[in-house]
Amino acid sequence: MTHQIDLEAEIQRLLTEHERIAEQGITVHRRENVVVLGGEVESAQRRDEICRQVTGHFPDIEITCDIGITRAQAPSEVEEIS
Amino acid sequence: MIRIAAVGDVHVDKDVVGRYRPALEQLPDRADALLVAGDLTRHGTPEEARCFAEEFGGLAVPVVVVLGNHDHQSDQQERVTEVLTDAGITVLECSTTVLEIRGHRLGIAGAKGFGGGFAGACASNFGEREMKDFVGTTESISARLGEALRSVECDALVALTHYSPVPETLVGEPLEIYPFLGCYQLGNAVDSAPTALALHGHAHHGSERGRTPGGVPVRNVAHPVIKQAYNVYQLLTDSVDAELVPA
Repeated sequence: MTHQIDLEAEIQRLLTEHERIAEQGITVHRRENVVVLGGEVESAQRRDEICRQVTGHFPDIEITCDIGITRAQAPSEVEEIS
Repeated sequence: MIRIAAVGDVHVDKDVVGRYRPALEQLPDRADALLVAGDLTRHGTPEEARCFAEEFGGLAVPVVVVLGNHDHQSDQQERVTEVLTDAGITVLECSTTVLEIRGHRLGIAGAKGFGGGFAGACASNFGEREMKDFVGTTESISARLGEALRSVECDALVALTHYSPVPETLVGEPLEIYPFLGCYQLGNAVDSAPTALALHGHAHHGSERGRTPGGVPVRNVAHPVIKQAYNVYQLLTDSVDAELVPA
């Protein structure tokens, strides 16, 4: 059983080490009654897989998924380096 | 004038193929080369490398990359490098390339880099064998990047790494993980040569802009930081070119 104090660590390691996830850029924040996952990933499938895996591994914890999909549009500006 | 496009941490797999392509098709109208700062794939498999090559290869401009830690996850980095090279992509690891661009020579020295931390909070080459191996890797990669940078003869020199050479571009990440995101030795390597710009990725929650202790501009081009397909940076600007740069 996961100790509450280790919960963020357990979720963080699952997000990185699970072969179907492999994400190091997801934040895990605990609120009063919910754990909020944040950050951005490259596709909606990846976001959905994260939510599915975390919910499946921690069925007693309420999880909210605030993960976004990083935009991939072309830039409109150039930065001059000096 | 030289314009380079840059992005990092695109983590391509089958589910991403096609997402970047519309923006990449416009890239040759906006930049002279594309540099990718590591984490090209999710798990570093040859199959994912082929997805990256399909998405980022075959452009009308040169594509130069370094690998990131994700590209080492399956211990197949040599095979990944082969797949990319076969697709016409230049892969740098403590090595250099020079691109001829409209009469200018753009020199790029690249390395994955490694962690270790920054002034005041860095790891030391001391104690257990595992710790000495860790910091020894940091020192070795950084020294070889410095040698590569100093060896290039060019008009504009760019350092391309996955790990960060400065802490400023990590701001936004938890302080506790800075030693896993970069090291000051990479900054020393950048400063040991007349580097015009240092590009890195890896820090998804970091900040875009920083400078090395020696004053070299540093840009964190991790995709979640720049929030677009790539950024474009202009080097060797002359007075006529400057009028084309938006304020």
